[in-house]
Amino acid sequence: MTDPGVERELEAMLARSEQTRARLDRLHDVLTAGGHYGTGATPATVVYQENKLRLLRLVDESGQPRTGPPVLFVPAPVSRYFIVDLLPDRSFAGHVASAGFDVFIIDFGTPGDEDRFADLEYYVEGLLRRSVRKVSAITGQASINIVGYCLGGTLSLLYTALYPSTVSRLVLLTTMIDGDTRGGIAWVAHQMGLAGESFEDPRLVPAVEIKSWFEMLAPGSNSLIGRVNDLWERLDEPVDRLRDVRTMATWVDDVVPAPGRLLAELYQQFGPGRNRLMAGTATVGARSIDCAAVTMPVLSVSAAKDLIAPADGVDAIRSLVPHAEVMRLPGGHVGIVAGRTALALWQRTVEFLMRNVT
Amino acid sequence: MSESDASKPEPTLVERWLQDQQQWQRTLFTYLDSMMKNDEFLMHMGNAMRGSLLAGKPYPTAPPPAAASADDAATADRLDKVLFALHQLQGQMQDVLMALDELRASATTKTIRLKPDSAKIKKPRASRATPRRRRTNKGRTRS
Repeated sequence: MTDPGVERELEAMLARSEQTRARLDRLHDVLTAGGHYGTGATPATVVYQENKLRLLRLVDESGQPRTGPPVLFVPAPVSRYFIVDLLPDRSFAGHVASAGFDVFIIDFGTPGDEDRFADLEYYVEGLLRRSVRKVSAITGQASINIVGYCLGGTLSLLYTALYPSTVSRLVLLTTMIDGDTRGGIAWVAHQMGLAGESFEDPRLVPAVEIKSWFEMLAPGSNSLIGRVNDLWERLDEPVDRLRDVRTMATWVDDVVPAPGRLLAELYQQFGPGRNRLMAGTATVGARSIDCAAVTMPVLSVSAAKDLIAPADGVDAIRSLVPHAEVMRLPGGHVGIVAGRTALALWQRTVEFLMRNVT
Repeated sequence: MSESDASKPEPTLVERWLQDQQQWQRTLFTYLDSMMKNDEFLMHMGNAMRGSLLAGKPYPTAPPPAAASADDAATADRLDKVLFALHQLQGQMQDVLMALDELRASATTKTIRLKPDSAKIKKPRASRATPRRRRTNKGRTRS
């Protein structure tokens, strides 16, 4: 007869062993499952390519594009495009396409060493302008809807101010306007006294460094032990849920390198202490940005728990574009676009795009 | 409790331990099997050991320090500048092509718009226009 105390201890050890093994079994299932990651979830065709950029057009189940008004998604060039098209049942772009819109997405691709010389003008006057022209040419529409996310929103706003007649509606998601707002990568870098990137002698900023900047905003998330513990705890969740987690992780951890010249210019123009968008002195190349030209309907959405683009800095669009509809959603920078509660944003966006559509 | 349940004795603690050990062996062999058969599995395992479920590529790490000499770096820099200038040229070329396409499209639209209008307004003259065109064609053929 075993001592009851020892028996209880052995039972507990056995339970821990079973739990550990079950977690490892689930991890194996997730790591070997096909899953969906690395590309957009919705079928698409490439309609334009330039340098590393690909312009994607979503198509329906039969491979045909939709015939509704065109919508161009502009994600941030420092992350992968598929955040707006993450999973078959969790795709912002797919949701907008299902509502009948002819959806296009810009995939800026992964910059090479030579792209470190790319500046704001190259992105706005070059890549973005030509993408809009292409969408217009394909759809026969002189003006199109643009949905910009994060830094993609900044590019979209600058483009719209330069070419307002080509944009019928503008949606800005977590797009920082007031660079002096406390929080965000640029503000933290400014507080730490970092010099920022060099415009004259730019480098291709490595992906791992970009990732460390994002992690800097959420202390603890960049520690190896913290990350491993977090994953280990999550392995109690069902395999299907873990596949979703993996898809999101594949976006979060798959950061791309960034052109140093672009980052330098963004910091010099819109960073803390400069804040040239708010001051009305922003430029793209030799051209001045006048936000008074942005007269079409504008929707700006901020996330209440956004650490990357603080909500107050996003909502500051009120002072630049007074007629803009400003909305703040509960959630974080990524969560409102692709999280489990993202449907609120998608529905609101579709409603905004559909208003007064003839 | 049913009679059949009652007839099965509860496994003892020792028996459960033995079953658990057998399960562990199965788990271990499953991992070994995947390592042998699936080339990407080790990379994914490496990512998981860094706390990431990143798929398809290794978890980002710092690039190795550049070992190139100053001369090599300067040459690479010049080549990169040339390559980027070519990308810019490619973009400008696309601009020209798009402008041509837009001109062509607008010309087509104008022609389509003009045809029905002219048919409506200048219908009587249309019959006279045909021989004129023929004359022009003849002239062209002669030359």
